[in-house]
Amino acid sequence: MLFRRIYQFLIVYAIGLSFLMAIKKMAGLSNYVIPGIPLILETAQNVALVFFHDVINTMSVTVLGQCLSIAMAFGVGIAGRKSSWAGSFIKVTAYNVQAYPIVALAPIIFILLGDGFVSRLLIASMICYFPLLLSVLGIMSTPVNDIEHFYQITGRMRWQLEVKIRAFENLSKITTVISGSATLAMAGTIVAEFIAANAGIGYSIRVALYQSDMAKILIALFMIGIIISIYQGLLETLGEKIKRRWSVADKGEI
Amino acid sequence: MNIRFFTILILISLMVSPVSHAREKELNYRLKWLFNTSVAGDIWADANGYFTKAGLTVTLKEGSPEKNAINELELGYADFGVASADQVIRALDKGADVKVVAQLFQINPMQWIYRTTQPEIKQLEDLKGRTIGITFGGNDETIMRTLFAKAGITEKDVAIVGVRFDFTPFYTKAVEVWPVYRNSQGVILENRLAKENESVYFFNPADFGVNFVANSIVTSGKMIQRHPGLVTDFLTALLSAWESAMDPDNAASVLAVIKQFETGADDNILRQQLEATRKLVKPASSVKIGTIDRAAWKQTEAIMLREGQIKKPVQIETCLVTAE
Repeated sequence: MLFRRIYQFLIVYAIGLSFLMAIKKMAGLSNYVIPGIPLILETAQNVALVFFHDVINTMSVTVLGQCLSIAMAFGVGIAGRKSSWAGSFIKVTAYNVQAYPIVALAPIIFILLGDGFVSRLLIASMICYFPLLLSVLGIMSTPVNDIEHFYQITGRMRWQLEVKIRAFENLSKITTVISGSATLAMAGTIVAEFIAANAGIGYSIRVALYQSDMAKILIALFMIGIIISIYQGLLETLGEKIKRRWSVADKGEI
Repeated sequence: MNIRFFTILILISLMVSPVSHAREKELNYRLKWLFNTSVAGDIWADANGYFTKAGLTVTLKEGSPEKNAINELELGYADFGVASADQVIRALDKGADVKVVAQLFQINPMQWIYRTTQPEIKQLEDLKGRTIGITFGGNDETIMRTLFAKAGITEKDVAIVGVRFDFTPFYTKAVEVWPVYRNSQGVILENRLAKENESVYFFNPADFGVNFVANSIVTSGKMIQRHPGLVTDFLTALLSAWESAMDPDNAASVLAVIKQFETGADDNILRQQLEATRKLVKPASSVKIGTIDRAAWKQTEAIMLREGQIKKPVQIETCLVTAE
């Protein structure tokens, strides 16, 4: 799964690069507008290591932000699963706020909190929080009658058990939405860095843009793609392992 | 057979340079920055029909940090543009077909502002120990590093802070020496600090022998080759407009035109910005606007070569075209 993600990305990247080279050739553009392969390789030699560190920097903010938003989404989602006024309020707020492009708030956050780590972390976690919350709310609000019915009837249902049952029965959905939110968090962090940070790969892309250095931008995109492919592959692999471990087929052990 | 014929036809039509149709279509002129006092002559030309009188239809397009006139020349989105010397030299280093036809700013507006509560920078060594803001990737970074190299200052001697368009670090004194364009942000900051009873100095690299050329008018080599008359007509109209816009007698009218674009701007600030722009574009009455300072261009190329911004000399003097 991990290797599939990586070679899928490499194929897409190669196709994109070929398309750019075709435009360069057809329109007779210089290296200033679209760099040739030798210039890209030469630039890669100079900046690949720096950009790799930048991507890891961005990734660390992304992962932390995603972990934070997973914890918040589960906390709020579990609290909001009931049909009480609190639960309804949480659901309505989540649906309405989710429609708003959170990344548009990035400039305000940077003005108030500065352009350091905390601003980027806040934006990364906000970006993926609401989609996660909606999914968790949906999962936790939907009873699994086949299993819960017995516990309801015998009066042995507790909220912890209810949450475990619903999480277990919807494990595929949960791992898919967590894996998907990784891309969202990464995109949000990069956009935030692009707007107003002083570190990370988004910041490096902005500097390259001001210098009209397409070679640097292409290398930055390559680094982002490789790292995010590895990260998503690892998340999916982890999700599969968890599913197999919790599987009934595994001698019924939970 | 038919499909092949039409495919080739489509490809050929896409590849035909838009320059060959320059006379039959609008000319696009991409500026370097937003519509403000630093492009007074360009706005004045457009508003007063200088281009129309020369038989040209010109569309003025605002610039921004993300827009690059040289890219647009090559892609055919612009016929003329405004670019700084470092952009031109970088482009030439990468094989772009760009020519400089006029130099708008005789003095580079890129300077640094700092409070008078700090000792005045009378020599480059006075930069040591200061917290200096630079825009990473911008020409101010190149200029400041040149100044450091000239004075033998290393990064251990100063605190470099990457800055953006948000002035908060300067207001809060987190950054002591802040990069500004003297004729736009410089005026705004000077006035804002004056309201807080703070006065400022401006640190001008040109005072220390670093003449980095600023905004200049560029076009493609193909345009000059195929439509030399068009280039002459465009330049004549534009530079006449700049001479008129920089005439102090026309200041009130020029400000009225600029205010159409900067609707929320303070009149006093605009007036000061226009005055500052005049000093940079036409520092003396004998100076003809658009004059290309070849020595400054060569120095700029030498600086960029020394700083590793370009791999090899680009022979910039061969790309400086004096309008007939």
